[in-house]
Amino acid sequence: MLTLGAKTSIPVSRRGAIQIGASAVLGMSWDRLLAQEPNGPAKSVIFLWLWGGPSQLDTFDPKPNAPSEFRSPFAIIPTKLPGVHFTELFPMLAQRSDHFSLLRSMHTQSNDHGVAGTIGLTGSIAGAVGLDGKPRPGQARPTLGSTVAKVRKMQGGLPSFLVVGGKLHQGKKPIIGEYSGFLGASCDPFRLEFDEEKGTRVNALDLGQGLTPERLDDRQKLAGALDDIERKLQKGSTPWTEQMQQAYALLLRPESRKMFDLGQESPAMRDRYGRTRFGQSCLLARRLVEKKVPFVQVNWSDHVEAEEDAGDGGWDHHYRNFQIMVDRHGPWLDRSISTLLDDLRDRGLLESTLVVAVGEFGRTPKINEKAGRDHWEHCYCALVAGGGIKPGRVIGTSDSRAERPAERPLTPADLGATIHQALGITSEQSQSFGLATGGEVIGELF
Amino acid sequence: MFAFCLVWNLVQVVLLQTGQEEKARQITSDGSFKSHLSWSPDGKKLLFTRIHKGKMELCTVEPLQGSKVESLVQPPPNTPHFDGSWSLDAKQIAYVHDILQGTDGKLQINMVNADGTQPKIIIPHKAFEESPRFTPDGQNLVWVSTRDGNQEIYSFEINSAKVTRLTQSPGFDNNPNVRKDGQRVVFSSSRYGNFEILSMKMDGSDVKRLTNHGSLDVWPAFSPDGGKIAFTSNRTGNYNIFVMDENGGNLAQITNNQGVNNFAAWGPSGEEIAYISNKNGAYEVYIHSLRK
Repeated sequence: MLTLGAKTSIPVSRRGAIQIGASAVLGMSWDRLLAQEPNGPAKSVIFLWLWGGPSQLDTFDPKPNAPSEFRSPFAIIPTKLPGVHFTELFPMLAQRSDHFSLLRSMHTQSNDHGVAGTIGLTGSIAGAVGLDGKPRPGQARPTLGSTVAKVRKMQGGLPSFLVVGGKLHQGKKPIIGEYSGFLGASCDPFRLEFDEEKGTRVNALDLGQGLTPERLDDRQKLAGALDDIERKLQKGSTPWTEQMQQAYALLLRPESRKMFDLGQESPAMRDRYGRTRFGQSCLLARRLVEKKVPFVQVNWSDHVEAEEDAGDGGWDHHYRNFQIMVDRHGPWLDRSISTLLDDLRDRGLLESTLVVAVGEFGRTPKINEKAGRDHWEHCYCALVAGGGIKPGRVIGTSDSRAERPAERPLTPADLGATIHQALGITSEQSQSFGLATGGEVIGELF
Repeated sequence: MFAFCLVWNLVQVVLLQTGQEEKARQITSDGSFKSHLSWSPDGKKLLFTRIHKGKMELCTVEPLQGSKVESLVQPPPNTPHFDGSWSLDAKQIAYVHDILQGTDGKLQINMVNADGTQPKIIIPHKAFEESPRFTPDGQNLVWVSTRDGNQEIYSFEINSAKVTRLTQSPGFDNNPNVRKDGQRVVFSSSRYGNFEILSMKMDGSDVKRLTNHGSLDVWPAFSPDGGKIAFTSNRTGNYNIFVMDENGGNLAQITNNQGVNNFAAWGPSGEEIAYISNKNGAYEVYIHSLRK
């Protein structure tokens, strides 16, 4: 007999495996599988993780009057908010600035991707490990999605927290804080990846033969895929994990397989999101929250580097920052987030879906000698929309060079507390589960 | 000066209103992101950068609909290859060879035969070396480097390795393109606050500002006869391809859609312009005919 959450290598027959997965879901309507009714205005969160750290000056907090060695070479454009400008690389978002709010005074505690990444994902520096290899004191806290998964369980073993994207890393070092920590494996993220050739990949199950969930409508293919997995289980080389159980539960329901299938979308809709990994991942995220998945995290890239073998390449633009912003990252981000907001609004989902776009830190206001910008933990931006958030607001200001917050400094912990607030996770729940971020809710957003 | 700018912008708007949606034929359809387009002087191949299966590589395609995209060089892991350009005899390609190390990269300029054989280093990494462009005689490369602490344009004599700095500006000077007679270089510069198109003589003198607009003007390319310059501008809100006379006059909008249209490259006859656009979803190569 298998136990939820336990890792075991007990061989399981296909029939058994099907029963294990099926027992959790078959005979239950989709509605009964949904997460418990949320208490806050946000039923779901889409957390867009801009890994590598976008420049605040080249995106949403330009400083056209700063000295030339600081200011962005991009022109500024007006937004719908009086006196608020973005750089010219974001015309679509500028036109939608009344649909979201902007935090311009974010700051964090480290300029190391690893450490700042842990803080950005968990709200705490505890357990973080940077390039120096030294763990910071304390046990790593659960990542934001896991805290939501703890409180908002999907029924039937379906995952409450999905990550679209690979495991985060800088260099070859994984980032601490992507997982559930002390909350246990049941709150770990269930990982999907968009592949430009194969479609949606479920990493927990190696389906083999180029199979993806959406290609398993054919019962023979599904049976074949399960046979493959059974063989691996019987060899003992593949442990039967909670992730695999969740994957089975998902794969056995045609409705959930369709949820992953971007082919269900019109080509025009897919075009609108942008035919980039991030764009298509945003579309996948919309499909997931449409099915009321409580927390979906979309990783812009796996690695921080812009030229790395990692899909769209990260935001760590130490060199070629301005060229990459012009040719790739600016237009891609502008299109994908704009379309996501439009699409959610058109479907009546924006009010119930909190969208957050943020990286782990900003970039140096002073341009370096490589036509780039380096790491900067003292000031950066975050974009928040939907989920009961008041749109069209700019919270916090930065100083004249976007070097430091001038008013209302905000932290990742504050953002985490705000996400909890939007979801209706009470302080009592936070305390009882040990989930409190230590931050303060950004009250102006509600 | 203000009055001049006002009149000039008005003239440009009037010209833009005459722009028509392009009738372009789509060349590629593989769905991968593409950039840095260059048309071989013999007209047989288009060279571009592609991000495909997690790798950034140089590819070629014949300028015909449905042609197969082929990798020029299979880059080893963590060595993106990008931003290539042809020699005038179409036998050589210069490109950027990036060696990723930790959280940084080492950019150098390499050269390879047009069939992808015999890659070799031409300009070793000293700083961040980009956008190599052959002079017509094949003896020099004009390229961008940060070796003096800022993006500037330089020329490199291939036989002697002599380096000459061509631009001296506190802004970024990049995206160079050499006129076919070898007399002038057109380039982008942020020296006036935002990116504009400028040109200069091959020795860096006689700098002329060709655009004056509060928007992004980048990736200029001389027509084969040198009389026109194609470039990318977001003056319409999104990126479109424009053509102007070499003195900046007679502006015409070539693409007119809501996508990102970038990296204009002239065909050898001067009657066609290739570009990369996501107007139909993915970033693909298109060819626009200028024939009436």
